[in-house]
Amino acid sequence: MTTSLTKSDFSRRGFLKGGAGLAFFLGAGGLSAVAVRAQNAEPLDVNPWLTISPSGTISIVFPSTEMGQSSYSTLPQILAEELDANWDDVVIAQLNEDDRTFGNPLFGGVLYTAGSTSVQGYYEPMRRAGAQARDVLLQIASRQLEVRKDSLRTEPSAVVAEDGTRLSYGALAASGTEDVQIPDADAIALKDPQDFRIIGQEVPRRDVPAKSTGKARYAIDVEIDNMAYAAVLRTPVEGETPRSVDDAEARAVAGVIDVVTLPDGVAVVAESLWAALGARDLVQVTWSDSSPARAFDSNATLAAYAEAARDPQAEAAVWAQTGDAASAIAKADRTVSHLYLSDYAYHAQIEPMAAVATVDPDGMGAEVWAGTQTQSWTTHTVMETLGTTQDRIRLNMMTMGGSFGRRTAFVQDYVRDAVLSSKAVGRPVKVIWTREDDVKHGTFRPAAAQKLEAGLTAHGRLTGWHHRVATPSVIGFFNPGRWEAVKPNDVISMRGAESKFYGIKDFQADHIITERQARLAPYRGIGAAYTSFAAEAFMDELAAEAGRDPLDFRLDLVEENPRGRHLLEKVAEMSGWRARGDRALGLSFAGYSSSMAAGVAEIEVDDDTGEIAVTQIWAAVDAGRIVSPDNAHNQIEGGIIFGISSALTERIDIEEGQVLQSNFFDYEILRADRVPQIDIYMATVEAPPTGVGEVGTPMASAAIANAFFAAKGQRLRHMPFTPDRVRDALQSELRLDL
Amino acid sequence: MTQFTLNGQSVEIDNPSDELLLLVIRDKLGLKGTKYGCGAAMCGACTVHVDGRPEFSCQLSVGDVAGAEVTTIEGLSEDGTHPLQKAWVDQQVPQCGYCQSGQIMRAAALLAENPNPSRTEIAEYMSANLCRCGTYNRIFKAVEQAAQEV
Ligand code: FES
Ligand code: FES
Repeated sequence: MTTSLTKSDFSRRGFLKGGAGLAFFLGAGGLSAVAVRAQNAEPLDVNPWLTISPSGTISIVFPSTEMGQSSYSTLPQILAEELDANWDDVVIAQLNEDDRTFGNPLFGGVLYTAGSTSVQGYYEPMRRAGAQARDVLLQIASRQLEVRKDSLRTEPSAVVAEDGTRLSYGALAASGTEDVQIPDADAIALKDPQDFRIIGQEVPRRDVPAKSTGKARYAIDVEIDNMAYAAVLRTPVEGETPRSVDDAEARAVAGVIDVVTLPDGVAVVAESLWAALGARDLVQVTWSDSSPARAFDSNATLAAYAEAARDPQAEAAVWAQTGDAASAIAKADRTVSHLYLSDYAYHAQIEPMAAVATVDPDGMGAEVWAGTQTQSWTTHTVMETLGTTQDRIRLNMMTMGGSFGRRTAFVQDYVRDAVLSSKAVGRPVKVIWTREDDVKHGTFRPAAAQKLEAGLTAHGRLTGWHHRVATPSVIGFFNPGRWEAVKPNDVISMRGAESKFYGIKDFQADHIITERQARLAPYRGIGAAYTSFAAEAFMDELAAEAGRDPLDFRLDLVEENPRGRHLLEKVAEMSGWRARGDRALGLSFAGYSSSMAAGVAEIEVDDDTGEIAVTQIWAAVDAGRIVSPDNAHNQIEGGIIFGISSALTERIDIEEGQVLQSNFFDYEILRADRVPQIDIYMATVEAPPTGVGEVGTPMASAAIANAFFAAKGQRLRHMPFTPDRVRDALQSELRLDL
Repeated sequence: MTQFTLNGQSVEIDNPSDELLLLVIRDKLGLKGTKYGCGAAMCGACTVHVDGRPEFSCQLSVGDVAGAEVTTIEGLSEDGTHPLQKAWVDQQVPQCGYCQSGQIMRAAALLAENPNPSRTEIAEYMSANLCRCGTYNRIFKAVEQAAQEV
């Protein structure tokens, strides 16, 4: 079987317009609205999930954005699996527009890459899209060979008949879709996981070679003709605006093109970044001075949050509830209560914010290059900035140099600034934030104060759990429209406090929604980054109070969660928990969304300096089916390192509305010489995938705090566990409860 | 006018001699593999070799390298097959990848100085470079793998 078409390749759209081969797409009506277009097809004004060209190239849409998590490779693998494609035939097509056909099912169809949801959300629809396409290929082959469809099978990228005849997917794609019936996606049979050839295998990431040779291109690298560079002097305090600008000296610098006043800053646009940065230092701005943010002070903020957490009368929204925590605690043999604190934390992604924009001559359209976690809100930002419609915006979603929640905002100021600067100078403009800009104008994991209270029975068992989290609403700041729809439930602020992996009969978690006193954003692990610290450190304190082993104390609570129980037992085995003697081991059990992780940390403490060295981490993880095991391992390990880093050093301070830290010398993140050995076990389970990007983070801090108790008999209740706090803890023989 | 050798080729630059080498490499000479991360000698994303030594290109002006030999990630090997680059692919090191040019350049300098580093020596040497994605343990393995091959 040959094809009369010799053209070897097609661009996705060109291919559709050329009208040869197959394109599949999921319409607004969902999966059942699949259409198949053949040689005489009208050009389609939609993006298909996949196209198969006569050359055999299979182009699969990547609907998320890539920041290191590798869904760029993993999501297309899911579709390719059900299509039974040869992975080497697959090319990946980044979705570069706000086309909700491809929306994230776990974010109401918004194109949003966050919350470890990509594999979880797209697993089912992308499998079904692949299976549908495979079925159509079988139908074409059946027609062509005049054999029954069910006598055919597929091998990677080919249909094979009983007599051994092979028809490649490319050849089938070229041969028309007459008489083809579109199968119902909801009813279509999916592969038995035992037959998977791609999912669960060690398929290398697509982006690794480019990222090992310096060839990967990030927003900060984009270069287009006639491009200028902008450095932005941003208002030192949130909410202020430039009142007057003296730019005479800056304009005199060689290479400076213009000085553009922005809503909350001043952009210096020049022929080079060097000139822009130099001239920026010479701009004199008088800022307004009436912003309430001038009063922001992180010490005062945390003190106020602590007071709110301690105040039983403080107004709170119930976040999670089962049974009656208050009466169970009242009836308990003993009650235990402690307060836990955590400071603001910064994302510290190594690529600072950058974006390139070129605004059309009429000022009503633009092409934009940016790395963000959402095509939808980047589109929205440009539309709002120009007062234009979506059809005038051409996006290029760039791979990101890390993000961890940094680029999720509804309004993206760095994108906006590139657009406004380009519009002002009539040229393409690249805006780059320096590291200092990125720290000083960061959006942070909120500070939090948490009061935990629980009861113990005479037999040392848990009875009643009450977790009160005093922290602001993150959603209320970074996406106010969304907050109106979901309030008072803020999953970003509160995740983890539901402690859902334990079966605690009488349980309550409350959100005391405090006043926001910093710019906030989602952050790796979101709420669980601190709620799980408090919950799991407290669990350890309860076990000690009850005179029980921390493992046994927790095992009581996972009777109805056999998968969780398995993880606890596994990590105990890996770490030699039962025979730990006087090794300083700390146990923690937390997770993210529906993914679970049990971890044990081993530490050493330098009593003189107060430095904690984490020497080893063992982790047992259940994230449902693992699509890409090697990458999952890398993500979990990275998540653990992120958690260790925030537990040990990471802290943002604010005084008079200004961030005190400015670069990696005063905002320290974990370096190679402090990285522990990390052993990871991933459970093999028959269950849908639930995400690996954040599962490693939440358990790490409590594992360290609990190991500190094992080593020193003192508690660390304020994260990060900086040397000064560690020394304080070592000196406080009998520390009074806060 | 500053002359130096970049990846084996002589270049002449008319940028101000106090301009950052990092920006000249990236924006004037168009080699984007060398990254800006902090501008403060704190992250190592900008690591290049100057006469074989690892240097933060954000800490050098173009005048500082007059007459010197500068190597960037693009010049480490012709086709991305330096043993370290192969090891990086074998071990699937990168996540976001942004730090990795700098990591590889630092690692190459390490192996040039010490062809058989211990795990501790690797960790210490590589501590000049940050990886926020947390790929450190894979970096160690990849350096060990490459050390076997060099
Ligand atoms: S950019 Fe040079 S060390 Fe960070
Ligand atoms: S791979 Fe992302 S910073 Fe290293």
